[in-house]
Amino acid sequence: MLDKMRYFIMRALRNMRQWPFLCAASVLTMAVALTMVATFFLVVVNVEQLTQRWSKDLQVVVYLDRAPAPSALTQMVSSIREMAEVAQVIHVTPAEAMAQFRQRLGENAALLQGVDNDILPGSLEIALHAQYQQRDGMDQLLARLKTVAAGHDIHYGQDWLERFESFVSVLRLTGLALGGFLLFAALFIVSNTIRLTFYARRDELEIMALVGATERFIKTPFLLEGALQGLFGGLLALLALTLIFKGILVEIVHSLWVTPAAFSLLFLNGHQQLILVFGGVLLGVFGSLTSLKKLIQI
Amino acid sequence: MIQLFNVTKSYRKDSVALKDLSLEIGKGEFVYVAGASGAGKTTLLRMLYAAEKPSRGQILIDGQNITRIGRQKIPYLRRKIGVVFQDYKLLNSRSVYENVAFALEAQGKKRYEVSKKVYQALKEVGLEHRLNRTPLELSGGEQQRIAIARALVVDPLILLADEPSGNLDQAVATEIMGLFRRANARGTTVVLATHDPGLYKRFPRRLISLDGGQVVSDYRPDTV
Ligand SMILES: Nc1ncnc2c1ncn2[C@@H]1O[C@H](COP(=O)(O)OP(=O)(O)O)[C@@H](O)[C@H]1O
Ligand SMILES: [Mg+2]
Repeated sequence: MLDKMRYFIMRALRNMRQWPFLCAASVLTMAVALTMVATFFLVVVNVEQLTQRWSKDLQVVVYLDRAPAPSALTQMVSSIREMAEVAQVIHVTPAEAMAQFRQRLGENAALLQGVDNDILPGSLEIALHAQYQQRDGMDQLLARLKTVAAGHDIHYGQDWLERFESFVSVLRLTGLALGGFLLFAALFIVSNTIRLTFYARRDELEIMALVGATERFIKTPFLLEGALQGLFGGLLALLALTLIFKGILVEIVHSLWVTPAAFSLLFLNGHQQLILVFGGVLLGVFGSLTSLKKLIQI
Repeated sequence: MIQLFNVTKSYRKDSVALKDLSLEIGKGEFVYVAGASGAGKTTLLRMLYAAEKPSRGQILIDGQNITRIGRQKIPYLRRKIGVVFQDYKLLNSRSVYENVAFALEAQGKKRYEVSKKVYQALKEVGLEHRLNRTPLELSGGEQQRIAIARALVVDPLILLADEPSGNLDQAVATEIMGLFRRANARGTTVVLATHDPGLYKRFPRRLISLDGGQVVSDYRPDTV
C-alpha cells in the first residue's frame, strides 16, 4: 500500500518534471481563476462589512433651521428622550457644528477663515437603542418626531443606504455568477492540459495497459498530479491575494477614505484560506477526472 | 492452454483477417505461427491478449473464455501473458532497468521484489551491464532482448512473440531463439509468429501455417 502510494507520487512528480510547461500552465490557470474569485469575494465581504457598519451608525438628526427658543428646545429634547427607541439626544450648537466641520477638514480648515461661526445650523443628534437600529419601524418613529419637531428638517440614512444595499446584493450575485464561470473555465483548461500530458505519454499508457496494469493503476497518478497542481495553484492564489490585498485594496481604501483609521479591511480568515487552497485541490482533481473519462482505450 | 473455436475476425465488412480458425496449443508447447505478410499472424496474437475481440467464435486461455471478457478483467489476463511486440514498444526516455521494471510495477509488485527480478531477467538476456542505458543507445538485437526480458520478468504462462527475428541478422536471431527455448524449457508456452522459413528450419518445432486468415497446415516434426 505504502509502496504503491510512493510509486504513484513518484510517477506524478516525474510527469510534472517531464512536462514543466504544461504543468505550469495548469497551475497558473487555477491560480488566476482562484485569485479572481477570492478577490471578488473579499470585495463583497468588505462592502458588506461597510454597510453593516453604516446601518449601525444609523442615527436621526434634526436640523434646527431656525434656532428655537430655549424653553421650546428643552421641551422638544425631553419629549424626544421619552420615546422608547431613543438612547440619547445630543444638542449640537452652531458653534460646535462649525468646530466639528473644521476638525474634519483637517489641513483644509484654512478654507473656513473669515466664515461666520453660526453659518451652520444647530442640530439634535438622536442615537437609537441597538435593537431599533434598523429600518423596520423607522417610519413610525419618524412620524412621531415630525410632530414633536414640526418645521425642522429631519435626516436619517435610509434612502441611500437602501439603494446601497441593493447594489451590494447585485454585487454578490455578479460575484457568484462570475466566480462560477471562472471556476468552470479553469476546470475546462486544466482538464485539457492534463489531456495533453496524456496524449504526450500515450505510448507509456498503452504499454502499461498491455503489460497488465489496471485502469485505476494507470489513472491514479494523473489524479494525484491534478491534486498537486491544484494545491500549488491554491497556494499561489493565496499569495497573489495577499499581495493584491496589501498592495492594492488597502491602498485604494486609504486614498478614498476620509478617516482611514476608523475602518480596517477584512482579509480571508484561516478557515477561508484553507477553503481556497482546498478548492484548488478539488479543481485539480475534477480537472483530471474529466479528462480521464476519455482515456484512450487499449 | 490456448484454444480457438471457429474464430473469425474481420476489421472491415468486406474482408476477413482470420477465417473460421480452430486450433489448440497445449501447455508447455513451442509453436511457430508462420505465413506471409498479411496472413493474419499479428491479428491472431492480438486476440490472445485481448487487444482485439473476435468477430465470431470463442477463445479460451488457461481454461478461461476471454471472448466476452470484461474490461476490468483484461489486466489480469495480460499478467499471465508475456508479449514481445514486433516494434518492441520500449520507452526510449527510460533506462533499460526501468523498462523491464515497468511490467512488474504495472502489476503492483513490491519494490524489493522488482529490483531482484529485473536484475535476474536482465542477466538472463545478458544485459545486466547495460542497466542504466536507454534503449536508443543500444543495438536492435539488444533492444529486442530488453523486450524479451520485460516479457519474461513476470514469469508468464504464455510467451507471445511477433516476428522476433524480423530485423535481426542470423547470429543475433539464433541468440534470441536460445532465450525463447530456455523459457520454454522452464515450462512457458511459447507462440512465435514469423514469416522467416529459415528460423523453423534451423529450430524445428510445431509449425502452424496461415494463409489468408486460414490454417493451411499444422505440422509437428517427429523429433520433438
Ligand atoms: N487494425 C486493422 N484495421 C484494418 N485491417 C487490419 C488491421 N490489422 C490488420 N488488418 C488486416 O488484416 C489482415 C491480417 O493482418 P495481420 O494480422 O497484421 O497479418 P500479419 O501479421 O500476418 O502480417 C491484413 O489484410 C491487414 O490488412
Ligand atoms: Mg504482423
